[in-house]
Amino acid sequence: MLDVNGLSIEVNGKRIVEESSFVVPRGKITSIIGESGSGKSMTVATLLGLLPAGAKATGQALYNGRNLITLSDKEMASIRKSAVFTIFQDAANSFNSSVKMGRQLYAFSGERTGATVAQFRMEMAVILADLGLSSDIFEQYPFELSGGMLQRCMIACALYVKPDLLIADEPTSALDMVLQKEFIKLLKRLNEELGTTILLITHDLDIVAEAAHEMVVMQQGVVVETGAVKQVFEQPQHSYTKRLLESRF
Amino acid sequence: MTAKWIGKRMVMGTIVLLIVSFLSFFIMHAAPGDPATAFYGGNAQTLTTAEKERIAQAFALDRPVLVQYGVWLAETLTGNLGYSSKEGRPVATILMERLPNTLLLFSVTLFFIIIGSIWLGTVAGMKEGSLWDRGLSTFSIATSSIPAFWLGILFISFFAVKLGIFPSSGTGEIGGDGGLVDKLRHLIMPAAVLILTHVGIYARFLQESIKAESRHYYVMVARANGVAEKEIRQGILRNASMPYLNYIGMTIPSFFGGSIIVESLFSWSGLGQLTVKAAMTKDFPLLMGGILWTGLIVVISLFIIDLLMYALNPKLRKGGVR
Amino acid sequence: MKTRKSLLFWYAILGFIVLMTVFASVVAPYGPNDMNMDNVYGAPGDGHLLGTDHLGRDVFSRLLAGGKVTLTVASVSVLLSLVLGVLYGGISGYIGGFIDTIMMRLLEAFITIPSLIIILAFQTVMQGGMWGMALIIGLTGWLVTARIVRSEFLRLKEAEFVQMANMFGTPMWKIIIGHLLRNSVPAIFVVTLFNFAGAIFIEVSLSFLGIGIPPAIPSWGNMLYYAQNDILIGAWWIGLFPGIMIFITILAINFIGEGLKNPQRR
Repeated sequence: MLDVNGLSIEVNGKRIVEESSFVVPRGKITSIIGESGSGKSMTVATLLGLLPAGAKATGQALYNGRNLITLSDKEMASIRKSAVFTIFQDAANSFNSSVKMGRQLYAFSGERTGATVAQFRMEMAVILADLGLSSDIFEQYPFELSGGMLQRCMIACALYVKPDLLIADEPTSALDMVLQKEFIKLLKRLNEELGTTILLITHDLDIVAEAAHEMVVMQQGVVVETGAVKQVFEQPQHSYTKRLLESRF
Repeated sequence: MTAKWIGKRMVMGTIVLLIVSFLSFFIMHAAPGDPATAFYGGNAQTLTTAEKERIAQAFALDRPVLVQYGVWLAETLTGNLGYSSKEGRPVATILMERLPNTLLLFSVTLFFIIIGSIWLGTVAGMKEGSLWDRGLSTFSIATSSIPAFWLGILFISFFAVKLGIFPSSGTGEIGGDGGLVDKLRHLIMPAAVLILTHVGIYARFLQESIKAESRHYYVMVARANGVAEKEIRQGILRNASMPYLNYIGMTIPSFFGGSIIVESLFSWSGLGQLTVKAAMTKDFPLLMGGILWTGLIVVISLFIIDLLMYALNPKLRKGGVR
Repeated sequence: MKTRKSLLFWYAILGFIVLMTVFASVVAPYGPNDMNMDNVYGAPGDGHLLGTDHLGRDVFSRLLAGGKVTLTVASVSVLLSLVLGVLYGGISGYIGGFIDTIMMRLLEAFITIPSLIIILAFQTVMQGGMWGMALIIGLTGWLVTARIVRSEFLRLKEAEFVQMANMFGTPMWKIIIGHLLRNSVPAIFVVTLFNFAGAIFIEVSLSFLGIGIPPAIPSWGNMLYYAQNDILIGAWWIGLFPGIMIFITILAINFIGEGLKNPQRR
């Protein structure tokens, strides 16, 4: 579904990502793992067409046969709106603090699918209840909810729009252990029940082991190893992957 | 919560007015001549010695200054601001005649400044790095460096003297019927001068707030998830409007100062021109009244702005901060 | 780099104006009060570069002498408000706590009063000359400086190097002057620059209204006071040139202030 080929990213003339290639197969959970500064987040920004000013990407990132890197802003915006949903690391700051949650959740999900507000509220209430949230939050402001609740709201939007591809960029690093476990369970459910393809960016091997089918290991802007999670865990090829695995136990 | 918040603001406003009143009392006290004369102005000559003594007693003039201030304040609160020493009429009456003109000029200019600066600031702020963005910064520094009254002089020399399309001064034709059209014709130049010299800085402030707000995390998240651009902009504008409103509140006093001078230049018969005239002719009761009322207008304006901020910012309403 | 170039440009402009006015008596072709009743309302050119006014005085010479007065009043008043602002803000910020709260509330109240109104009131009672004017502007102009100094002090007090100095038992005055004040200098400098522009504005405005500097002393504002009537008979040069001088001076100060402010922005 997503085929990245020889992707390089430069920020202000400095190479951040070097000739990276990996594949995200349809219907699977693929995880990119690496330390901070390994170029994971920049890769995500490239895939979303949201590189900051001064950054430039070269190479190929084929999404259903279209190269995301050369698409126009308008085409990119339409892909972001119709096919992809992204959950970011910092849920507490992912919402505008002076707008009610109901309106923001609608903008994130209902408006994308073209539902009316009434329709959206009914359907969303069911999803929220399933996630253990009351529909009272429609009338509340983001600062009245906890970080865990806000991250669940994001997931609720993902469940609502049923995207072709779900990108989760370090979605759990701001959550505590219990919430992390719960979140990973939700991701797996989304993948199993709806068949959603998921790209999970993380620095945590436990999460990879728990959730992912495929994995991509990045080190300082270079993809050093790719493969099925089981295979990589049993027979790591690259020395960096070996070190990572050793430090886990 | 709301009641408590409003109460706090009111206490603050009262303190400001107390300071203003103390200042104006201080002026009367420092003024040459005896205070009874100062208070009753031109009418003082007609007073007999016995009456003067009665006034002195009524205003506790033989008592310490602080007591005098208290007595004077009590008198002021009942609405008795004394008599103009030049015109002999009650100060409150004179002020009342001038108030509508000042409010008209104040509200018309502020209205256009706000509309104009929101338009300019939003266009410039939303397109970071564009020609608009860079142009507005220069425009605002340049226009805010022009003394408003000097621009007024240029306007008079060009539009009134040379072209003769606008009247150079006054609030209406001397022989005119005092109608609204006539008044508006006289309003155009003073208002234009104030708007032109102020719209830039306010626009620039909004532009900077919008740029700062656009860098927030939630904007990136919303954009990444295909939230409609219109919705994103509305959210940004809503948040950026809070520091902007606060800025308007902070600058209202100096804006008011500028409008006093423009009123004088165009002989716009408002409170500002009156106060300046009172200062020049040493009409102390009138001067004090003018100062007090100006203080009152500023305090009320600030209160309205505070209310607006309160309505716009849910964090304030829910008692989150401050 | 572009900012630095434009900054230099505005420094040069401001420097030029200051030098011209300081050496007014040398540069000016006429004395500022030399009257020539045979040549009143003379248009620019013809021996008088910028024309003459209603008493036949040379506008260019008066412009230079007037600039000296205006800039002197502004400088003296700014120095005064600098001292007051640093003292008030410094005390409030250094002591902190309850006293800080009280002092800041009071400051907020003062800021709400249009300073022009206060000055107007003072002027009627004092009716001083140049120095009285500088005194009044200085006395009413320290509020923003105080606020900046106070917030800088509060911020720096928490800084690591100040905490360290405290631990090592550095005497209080050394901490205040050597650490707190010294590191506040850039911020204080910028606000003082803007204050300077503000002081020029106030002097010019009051003199223009006829209640500022006595008419006998030429200043940019005083020149504009007469210009009000002069433009009605078509003598535009009397009003135009002082205004341009004020405009360029304030423009230079504002651009310098903005240029210095920018690198501090995070």
